[in-house]
Amino acid sequence: MKRAFFITNRIIEYLLIIIFALLVLDVLWQVIARHLVGSSSSFTEEFARFAFIWLAILGAAYLNGQRGHLAIDFWLNKLDAEKRKQRQVIIEILMLIFAIIVMVIGGGNLVYITLSLGQKSSVLGIPLGVVYAIVPFSGLLIVFYSLFHISQPEALETKEKSS
Amino acid sequence: MSIEILSIIVLFISFFALLAYGVPVAYCIGISTTITILLNIAFVPGITTVCQRMTTGIDSFALLAIPFFILAGEIMNRGGIANRLINFAKSLVGSLPGGLAYVNVLAAMLFGAISGSAVAAASAIGSIMTDRMEEEGYPRPFSASVNITSSTMGLIIPPSNILIVYALASGGTASVAALFLAGYLPGILVGLALMIVVAIVAQRKNFERGQRVSLVNVWKDFRRAFFSLLLLVVIVGGIVAGVFTATEAAGVAVLYAGILALVYKAISIRDFPAILLNSAKTTAIVMFLICTSMAMSWLFSFASIPQLLTSFLLDEVSSPILIFIIINLTLLIVGTFMDITPAVLIFTPIFLPVVMELGMHPVHFGIIMVLNLCIGLCTPPVGTILFVGSGVAKISVAKVVPSLIPLLITMVIVLMIVTFIPQISMWLPQLFSL
Repeated sequence: MKRAFFITNRIIEYLLIIIFALLVLDVLWQVIARHLVGSSSSFTEEFARFAFIWLAILGAAYLNGQRGHLAIDFWLNKLDAEKRKQRQVIIEILMLIFAIIVMVIGGGNLVYITLSLGQKSSVLGIPLGVVYAIVPFSGLLIVFYSLFHISQPEALETKEKSS
Repeated sequence: MSIEILSIIVLFISFFALLAYGVPVAYCIGISTTITILLNIAFVPGITTVCQRMTTGIDSFALLAIPFFILAGEIMNRGGIANRLINFAKSLVGSLPGGLAYVNVLAAMLFGAISGSAVAAASAIGSIMTDRMEEEGYPRPFSASVNITSSTMGLIIPPSNILIVYALASGGTASVAALFLAGYLPGILVGLALMIVVAIVAQRKNFERGQRVSLVNVWKDFRRAFFSLLLLVVIVGGIVAGVFTATEAAGVAVLYAGILALVYKAISIRDFPAILLNSAKTTAIVMFLICTSMAMSWLFSFASIPQLLTSFLLDEVSSPILIFIIINLTLLIVGTFMDITPAVLIFTPIFLPVVMELGMHPVHFGIIMVLNLCIGLCTPPVGTILFVGSGVAKISVAKVVPSLIPLLITMVIVLMIVTFIPQISMWLPQLFSL
């Protein structure tokens, strides 16, 4: 499971870097196209919006793996190590339940509805269901990360600080 | 008990319980929202609505400015810009009594404004300044507390991500360009007020003054800092003049910072993947908070919470002055334990209708709110900047707090001035008729 954890992390890291780089190039191209070439391209704006949703939601799932989400751990840190670990397992379970119910089931239903209604984006013609598919996918990732953290208690010890 | 009241109780109790338990804030917002929505709507439509609000809530080109400003800040953080700004600030104000403390205030404000990140300002400037200040006889807690409070002003002085978040939370009633312009004077006012406190302390404790710098050297330091400072002019000028949108400006800032850092040889092309990944993480923290907050603010309007609060406050508390004070006090308390982004996203939809009913401009309220929550960033138990600032100064939070108190009181006084004199915020936006 540790191996799967590291490989998954590597893949997601590459994905995030590529999406972010594409976003920067896309918006810079939009500025250049408008000011130098004189044509406004609405496809760059739509691509940027969709890539951004992917970056944000996939990034959020990745953060679950890194235990990097912002939390108020003031009272948590006052507990002794044993109690703290117990609490962290419960927190992981809460996040797992949220991911299953809202992101996997709710998100899956959202994808199903938009696909069956045939909703497409106005400029690029991408089915919106494909854009939203990142939500159930990231939900599954969060489930995987939570299970990993619960099964590897030592992974709960090190918490990356970021804000 | 009506379902509205029950919803409000369930929402707030579950939210604060999860928060105190240590659940990540974004999940606290998401879970409490889902529970409350399921009280009102059937299971499958309910969870689909939550998910839909989370996704469409961030489907916005305007919000895209946030990851770009984060990325630009990350590049500048590694780019040797902090030192150039400190030297420039030193040649300007270093020769006054207590000179290095002024240098810290000015440099932290400039770096915070340019990088858009108070955390970056506190760590970049603090890690350089605290040691230098100690060499000249400044106590470490004093240096740290000056650095901590002045770093937050980067959040008010544009470009500022939190003002973009507020523009989103205000539902488009406040434009990013107007908010950016409105931030200048209040931000500078706080800076000046902090400098006054520094002056009083410097007088009493007889801090050394630095050497007077010749105009030639001022010019030299200005030239070295020029391209970093120019970024501010290009970005804010471009947005206000309507040359580009905030998002495009942020994209330009990334390009500019990247080229500058490459020219300064502070980073190489090979560093970019790591910088992108780091920025992606910071972006995801902020954006996932925005995702779940958008679901929660949908729930607010679904349960008509803002209307309930507006009519309650207007009926029970007749005086507008008292209402403004109540709102400010609430936000000060909220700020002590909640980070600034979730606080803005959650409390803007609740309080904005109230103050607009009393005739306050949404741009003015945005400045009040951000300035108010900046104070909370410097206070325990949860103060991001306090922890970062004490960390880089290598002293414990408990040692910093006593010397922080006069500076925080000063910030509260400025907050009151900014609240009751709208012209401080509104003069510049009105001048440009935004």
